[in-house]
Amino acid sequence: MSTDPVTRLRVLAAGLGAGLYAEERLALPYEQVWAVAADLAGELPHLVPLLREFRVPPGDSDRKEAVAVGPLRTRDAFEVRLAPGWCLMQSGLIVGGMAAVREGDGTRFAVLGATRPSALRPVQRLYAPLLGRRRGRAFLRTVEQRARLRPGA
Amino acid sequence: MADGPGGDSTLWETTAALVRAAQQGDALAMDELLTQVTPYVTRLCRPIAPSDTADAVQESLMAVFKALRGLRDPGAFYGWVRTVTVREAVRVARRTVVERPVEPDELARLGGLRTDGGTELSAEVRDVLSRLPVQYRAVLVLRELEGLDERSAAQVLGVAPGTVKSRLHRARSLFRTSWSQ
Repeated sequence: MSTDPVTRLRVLAAGLGAGLYAEERLALPYEQVWAVAADLAGELPHLVPLLREFRVPPGDSDRKEAVAVGPLRTRDAFEVRLAPGWCLMQSGLIVGGMAAVREGDGTRFAVLGATRPSALRPVQRLYAPLLGRRRGRAFLRTVEQRARLRPGA
Repeated sequence: MADGPGGDSTLWETTAALVRAAQQGDALAMDELLTQVTPYVTRLCRPIAPSDTADAVQESLMAVFKALRGLRDPGAFYGWVRTVTVREAVRVARRTVVERPVEPDELARLGGLRTDGGTELSAEVRDVLSRLPVQYRAVLVLRELEGLDERSAAQVLGVAPGTVKSRLHRARSLFRTSWSQ
Protein backbone atom coordinates (compact mmCIF):
# COMPACT_ATOMS: atom_id res chain seq x y z
CA MET A 1 0.00 0.00 0.00
CA SER A 2 1.28 3.45 -0.81
CA THR A 3 -0.24 6.56 0.67
CA ASP A 4 -2.27 8.77 -1.66
CA PRO A 5 -0.87 12.26 -2.42
CA VAL A 6 -3.23 14.10 -0.05
CA THR A 7 -2.38 11.80 2.86
CA ARG A 8 1.29 12.21 2.00
CA LEU A 9 0.99 16.01 2.12
CA ARG A 10 -0.91 15.79 5.42
CA VAL A 11 1.92 13.74 6.94
CA LEU A 12 4.51 16.22 5.65
CA ALA A 13 2.50 19.10 7.11
CA ALA A 14 2.58 17.36 10.49
CA GLY A 15 6.30 16.67 10.18
CA LEU A 16 7.14 20.24 9.18
CA GLY A 17 4.77 21.80 11.71
CA ALA A 18 3.42 23.69 8.70
CA GLY A 19 1.89 27.08 9.40
CA LEU A 20 -0.46 26.67 6.47
CA TYR A 21 -2.32 23.50 5.64
CA ALA A 22 -5.83 23.08 4.30
CA GLU A 23 -7.67 20.41 2.38
CA GLU A 24 -11.14 20.24 0.97
CA ARG A 25 -13.31 18.45 -1.54
CA LEU A 26 -13.80 20.60 -4.64
CA ALA A 27 -16.84 19.86 -6.79
CA LEU A 28 -14.81 19.77 -10.01
CA PRO A 29 -13.19 16.90 -11.91
CA TYR A 30 -9.64 16.01 -10.92
CA GLU A 31 -8.22 16.78 -14.39
CA GLN A 32 -9.66 20.28 -14.33
CA VAL A 33 -8.35 21.02 -10.83
CA TRP A 34 -4.92 19.52 -11.33
CA ALA A 35 -4.48 21.39 -14.61
CA VAL A 36 -4.41 24.57 -12.51
CA ALA A 37 -2.03 23.23 -9.89
CA ALA A 38 0.38 21.74 -12.42
CA ASP A 39 0.62 24.99 -14.40
CA LEU A 40 3.10 26.50 -11.96
CA ALA A 41 4.37 29.35 -14.15
CA GLY A 42 0.89 30.34 -15.34
CA GLU A 43 -1.15 29.90 -12.17
CA LEU A 44 1.04 30.17 -9.07
CA PRO A 45 1.26 34.00 -9.25
CA HIS A 46 -2.58 34.02 -9.16
CA LEU A 47 -2.66 31.68 -6.19
CA VAL A 48 0.11 33.03 -3.97
CA PRO A 49 -0.12 36.61 -2.69
CA LEU A 50 2.98 38.71 -3.39
CA LEU A 51 4.36 36.26 -5.94
CA ARG A 52 5.04 38.22 -9.09
CA GLU A 53 6.45 35.48 -11.26
CA PHE A 54 7.38 31.80 -11.00
CA ARG A 55 9.89 30.80 -13.67
CA VAL A 56 9.95 27.11 -14.43
CA PRO A 57 12.08 25.57 -17.19
CA PRO A 58 9.98 23.87 -19.88
CA GLY A 59 9.78 20.09 -20.19
CA ASP A 60 8.15 17.10 -18.53
CA SER A 61 10.85 16.39 -15.96
CA ASP A 62 9.51 15.62 -12.49
CA ARG A 63 12.50 17.44 -10.94
CA LYS A 64 13.03 21.07 -11.80
CA GLU A 65 14.79 24.18 -10.56
CA ALA A 66 12.45 27.17 -10.53
CA VAL A 67 12.84 30.81 -9.57
CA ALA A 68 10.23 32.79 -7.65
CA VAL A 69 10.21 36.53 -8.22
CA GLY A 70 8.79 38.67 -5.42
CA PRO A 71 7.19 42.13 -5.55
CA LEU A 72 10.52 43.94 -5.24
CA ARG A 73 12.12 41.70 -7.86
CA THR A 74 13.64 39.61 -5.08
CA ARG A 75 14.44 36.11 -6.25
CA ASP A 76 14.28 32.79 -4.48
CA ALA A 77 15.47 29.54 -6.09
CA PHE A 78 13.17 26.54 -5.64
CA GLU A 79 13.63 22.82 -6.13
CA VAL A 80 10.39 21.44 -7.53
CA ARG A 81 9.00 17.89 -7.58
CA LEU A 82 6.00 17.58 -9.86
CA ALA A 83 3.96 14.43 -10.56
CA PRO A 84 0.28 13.74 -11.22
CA GLY A 85 -1.57 14.87 -8.11
CA TRP A 86 1.62 15.93 -6.39
CA CYS A 87 3.74 19.09 -6.23
CA LEU A 88 6.41 19.87 -3.64
CA MET A 89 8.54 23.02 -3.86
CA GLN A 90 11.34 24.06 -1.56
CA SER A 91 13.71 27.01 -1.30
CA GLY A 92 16.13 27.80 1.50
CA LEU A 93 13.33 29.71 3.24
CA ILE A 94 10.00 28.26 2.21
CA VAL A 95 8.26 24.95 1.49
CA GLY A 96 5.10 24.80 -0.61
CA GLY A 97 3.05 21.81 -1.62
CA MET A 98 -0.15 20.83 -3.38
CA ALA A 99 -1.83 17.44 -3.69
CA ALA A 100 -4.99 16.10 -5.27
CA VAL A 101 -6.89 12.83 -5.52
CA ARG A 102 -10.17 11.92 -7.17
CA GLU A 103 -13.08 11.76 -4.75
CA GLY A 104 -16.21 10.53 -6.48
CA ASP A 105 -16.84 12.95 -9.33
CA GLY A 106 -14.98 15.69 -7.43
CA THR A 107 -11.45 16.25 -6.18
CA ARG A 108 -9.88 16.30 -2.74
CA PHE A 109 -7.27 19.05 -2.88
CA ALA A 110 -4.69 20.02 -0.26
CA VAL A 111 -2.21 22.86 0.10
CA LEU A 112 0.78 23.24 2.40
CA GLY A 113 2.99 26.19 3.27
CA ALA A 114 5.86 26.13 5.75
CA THR A 115 8.93 28.13 6.66
CA ARG A 116 12.30 26.39 6.85
CA PRO A 117 14.56 28.29 9.25
CA SER A 118 14.25 26.81 12.73
CA ALA A 119 14.13 30.32 14.21
CA LEU A 120 10.75 30.79 12.55
CA ARG A 121 9.17 27.64 13.97
CA PRO A 122 7.54 29.35 16.98
CA VAL A 123 6.12 32.00 14.64
CA GLN A 124 4.79 29.23 12.42
CA ARG A 125 3.08 27.52 15.34
CA LEU A 126 1.34 30.78 16.20
CA TYR A 127 0.51 31.52 12.59
CA ALA A 128 -1.24 28.21 11.89
CA PRO A 129 -4.37 28.69 14.00
CA LEU A 130 -4.58 32.45 13.45
CA LEU A 131 -3.97 33.00 9.75
CA GLY A 132 -2.78 29.71 8.26
CA ARG A 133 -6.19 28.13 7.98
CA ARG A 134 -7.76 31.24 6.51
CA ARG A 135 -4.95 31.61 3.98
CA GLY A 136 -5.24 27.92 3.15
CA ARG A 137 -8.96 28.14 2.52
CA ALA A 138 -8.46 31.27 0.41
CA PHE A 139 -5.91 29.36 -1.67
CA LEU A 140 -8.39 26.52 -2.22
CA ARG A 141 -11.11 28.99 -3.23
CA THR A 142 -8.78 30.54 -5.79
CA VAL A 143 -7.79 27.14 -7.20
CA GLU A 144 -11.48 26.38 -7.62
CA GLN A 145 -12.15 29.72 -9.34
CA ARG A 146 -9.16 29.32 -11.67
CA ALA A 147 -10.23 25.76 -12.51
CA ARG A 148 -13.70 26.99 -13.47
CA LEU A 149 -12.10 29.47 -15.87
CA ARG A 150 -10.28 26.70 -17.72
CA PRO A 151 -11.51 25.60 -21.15
CA GLY A 152 -13.92 22.70 -20.82
CA ALA A 153 -15.16 23.91 -17.45
CA MET B 1 14.26 1.01 -1.60
CA ALA B 2 14.52 -0.14 1.98
CA ASP B 3 11.39 -1.75 3.30
CA GLY B 4 12.56 -2.32 6.81
CA PRO B 5 15.52 -3.41 8.82
CA GLY B 6 18.06 -5.26 6.74
CA GLY B 7 21.76 -5.83 6.48
CA ASP B 8 22.58 -3.34 3.73
CA SER B 9 24.79 -0.76 5.43
CA THR B 10 24.62 1.66 2.47
CA LEU B 11 20.83 1.81 2.79
CA TRP B 12 21.12 2.41 6.51
CA GLU B 13 23.55 5.27 5.88
CA THR B 14 21.30 6.75 3.21
CA THR B 15 18.35 6.56 5.58
CA ALA B 16 20.31 8.14 8.43
CA ALA B 17 21.33 11.02 6.13
CA LEU B 18 17.69 11.54 5.10
CA VAL B 19 16.62 11.51 8.74
CA ARG B 20 19.20 14.18 9.63
CA ALA B 21 18.13 16.38 6.70
CA ALA B 22 14.43 15.90 7.53
CA GLN B 23 15.11 16.84 11.14
CA GLN B 24 16.50 20.13 9.83
CA GLY B 25 13.24 20.85 8.02
CA ASP B 26 14.25 19.63 4.54
CA ALA B 27 10.85 18.75 3.06
CA LEU B 28 12.29 16.94 0.04
CA ALA B 29 14.31 14.66 2.32
CA MET B 30 11.25 14.16 4.50
CA ASP B 31 9.21 13.18 1.45
CA GLU B 32 11.87 10.71 0.33
CA LEU B 33 12.00 9.23 3.82
CA LEU B 34 8.22 8.97 3.81
CA THR B 35 8.31 7.07 0.51
CA GLN B 36 11.01 4.80 1.90
CA VAL B 37 9.34 3.97 5.21
CA THR B 38 5.70 3.61 4.09
CA PRO B 39 5.98 -0.02 2.88
CA TYR B 40 7.55 -1.02 6.21
CA VAL B 41 4.87 0.77 8.24
CA THR B 42 2.18 -0.85 6.07
CA ARG B 43 3.72 -4.29 6.58
CA LEU B 44 3.54 -3.82 10.35
CA CYS B 45 0.03 -2.34 10.37
CA ARG B 46 -1.68 -4.82 8.06
CA PRO B 47 -1.67 -7.84 10.42
CA ILE B 48 -2.26 -5.76 13.56
CA ALA B 49 -5.08 -3.59 12.18
CA PRO B 50 -6.43 -5.63 9.22
CA SER B 51 -9.78 -3.84 9.13
CA ASP B 52 -8.30 -0.37 9.47
CA THR B 53 -4.94 -0.67 7.77
CA ALA B 54 -5.15 2.65 5.90
CA ASP B 55 -6.04 4.53 9.09
CA ALA B 56 -3.33 2.75 11.07
CA VAL B 57 -0.71 3.54 8.40
CA GLN B 58 -1.70 7.19 8.25
CA GLU B 59 -1.75 7.65 12.01
CA SER B 60 1.55 5.83 12.41
CA LEU B 61 3.20 8.00 9.76
CA MET B 62 1.78 11.16 11.36
CA ALA B 63 3.13 10.08 14.75
CA VAL B 64 6.54 9.20 13.26
CA PHE B 65 7.01 12.46 11.39
CA LYS B 66 5.65 14.66 14.18
CA ALA B 67 8.19 13.17 16.57
CA LEU B 68 11.06 12.81 14.10
CA ARG B 69 12.88 15.91 15.30
CA GLY B 70 13.24 14.34 18.74
CA LEU B 71 14.93 11.17 17.47
CA ARG B 72 18.50 11.39 18.79
CA ASP B 73 20.11 8.55 16.84
CA PRO B 74 19.19 8.59 13.12
CA GLY B 75 20.79 5.14 12.85
CA ALA B 76 18.03 3.80 15.11
CA PHE B 77 15.31 5.08 12.79
CA TYR B 78 13.67 1.81 11.81
CA GLY B 79 13.60 0.39 15.35
CA TRP B 80 12.01 3.59 16.53
CA VAL B 81 9.50 3.55 13.65
CA ARG B 82 8.58 0.00 14.62
CA THR B 83 7.87 1.01 18.21
CA VAL B 84 5.75 4.01 17.20
CA THR B 85 3.91 2.06 14.50
CA VAL B 86 3.00 -0.97 16.60
CA ARG B 87 1.60 1.26 19.35
CA GLU B 88 -0.42 3.31 16.88
CA ALA B 89 -1.68 0.22 15.03
CA VAL B 90 -2.82 -1.40 18.30
CA ARG B 91 -4.56 1.84 19.29
CA VAL B 92 -6.36 2.09 15.93
CA ALA B 93 -7.33 -1.60 15.96
CA ARG B 94 -8.83 -1.27 19.42
CA ARG B 95 -11.11 1.51 18.24
CA THR B 96 -13.07 -0.85 16.03
CA VAL B 97 -12.73 -4.20 17.70
CA VAL B 98 -14.89 -6.80 16.01
CA GLU B 99 -13.58 -10.15 17.08
CA ARG B 100 -15.10 -13.38 15.87
CA PRO B 101 -13.59 -16.59 17.24
CA VAL B 102 -11.37 -18.58 14.90
CA GLU B 103 -12.86 -21.92 13.93
CA PRO B 104 -10.64 -25.02 14.45
CA ASP B 105 -11.02 -26.17 10.84
CA GLU B 106 -9.82 -22.78 9.61
CA LEU B 107 -6.72 -23.19 11.73
CA ALA B 108 -6.13 -26.69 10.45
CA ARG B 109 -6.07 -25.45 6.85
CA LEU B 110 -3.13 -23.16 7.49
CA GLY B 111 0.10 -24.52 6.15
CA GLY B 112 2.34 -21.77 7.39
CA LEU B 113 2.13 -18.12 8.11
CA ARG B 114 4.58 -16.72 5.66
CA THR B 115 4.32 -16.55 1.94
CA ASP B 116 7.36 -17.25 -0.26
CA GLY B 117 8.53 -13.66 0.04
CA GLY B 118 8.66 -14.01 3.79
CA THR B 119 7.48 -10.47 4.49
CA GLU B 120 3.77 -10.52 3.72
CA LEU B 121 1.03 -12.78 4.92
CA SER B 122 -1.36 -14.63 2.67
CA ALA B 123 -4.97 -13.48 2.55
CA GLU B 124 -6.09 -16.63 4.32
CA VAL B 125 -3.61 -16.19 7.14
CA ARG B 126 -4.53 -12.53 7.46
CA ASP B 127 -8.17 -13.47 7.71
CA VAL B 128 -7.57 -15.87 10.59
CA LEU B 129 -5.11 -13.49 12.21
CA SER B 130 -7.63 -10.68 12.05
CA ARG B 131 -9.87 -12.59 14.42
CA LEU B 132 -7.27 -12.97 17.13
CA PRO B 133 -7.38 -10.37 19.89
CA VAL B 134 -5.29 -7.34 18.92
CA GLN B 135 -2.69 -7.82 21.67
CA TYR B 136 -1.96 -11.31 20.34
CA ARG B 137 -1.62 -9.99 16.81
CA ALA B 138 0.88 -7.38 17.95
CA VAL B 139 2.96 -9.96 19.80
CA LEU B 140 2.98 -12.31 16.80
CA VAL B 141 4.07 -9.52 14.45
CA LEU B 142 6.93 -8.43 16.70
CA ARG B 143 8.17 -11.91 17.61
CA GLU B 144 7.59 -13.82 14.40
CA LEU B 145 7.70 -11.30 11.56
CA GLU B 146 10.12 -8.81 13.12
CA GLY B 147 12.15 -11.40 15.00
CA LEU B 148 12.33 -9.45 18.27
CA ASP B 149 13.16 -11.27 21.51
CA GLU B 150 10.67 -11.22 24.36
CA ARG B 151 12.35 -8.37 26.21
CA SER B 152 12.40 -6.11 23.12
CA ALA B 153 8.81 -6.98 22.19
CA ALA B 154 7.77 -6.20 25.76
CA GLN B 155 9.49 -2.80 25.56
CA VAL B 156 7.69 -1.93 22.32
CA LEU B 157 4.31 -2.93 23.75
CA GLY B 158 4.94 -1.45 27.19
CA VAL B 159 4.20 -4.72 29.01
CA ALA B 160 6.21 -7.19 31.11
CA PRO B 161 8.28 -9.84 29.26
CA GLY B 162 6.19 -12.52 30.98
CA THR B 163 3.07 -11.03 29.40
CA VAL B 164 4.64 -11.27 25.96
CA LYS B 165 5.51 -14.89 26.66
CA SER B 166 2.02 -15.85 27.77
CA ARG B 167 0.36 -13.96 24.89
CA LEU B 168 2.69 -15.61 22.41
CA HIS B 169 1.98 -19.03 23.85
CA ARG B 170 -1.75 -18.41 23.60
CA ALA B 171 -1.51 -17.02 20.07
CA ARG B 172 0.61 -19.93 18.88
CA SER B 173 -1.73 -22.44 20.40
CA LEU B 174 -4.55 -20.75 18.51
CA PHE B 175 -2.73 -21.15 15.27
CA ARG B 176 -1.27 -24.60 16.01
CA THR B 177 1.20 -24.06 13.23
CA SER B 178 4.67 -22.65 13.11
CA TRP B 179 5.13 -19.12 11.84
CA SER B 180 8.59 -19.70 10.53
CA GLN B 181 8.72 -22.90 8.57
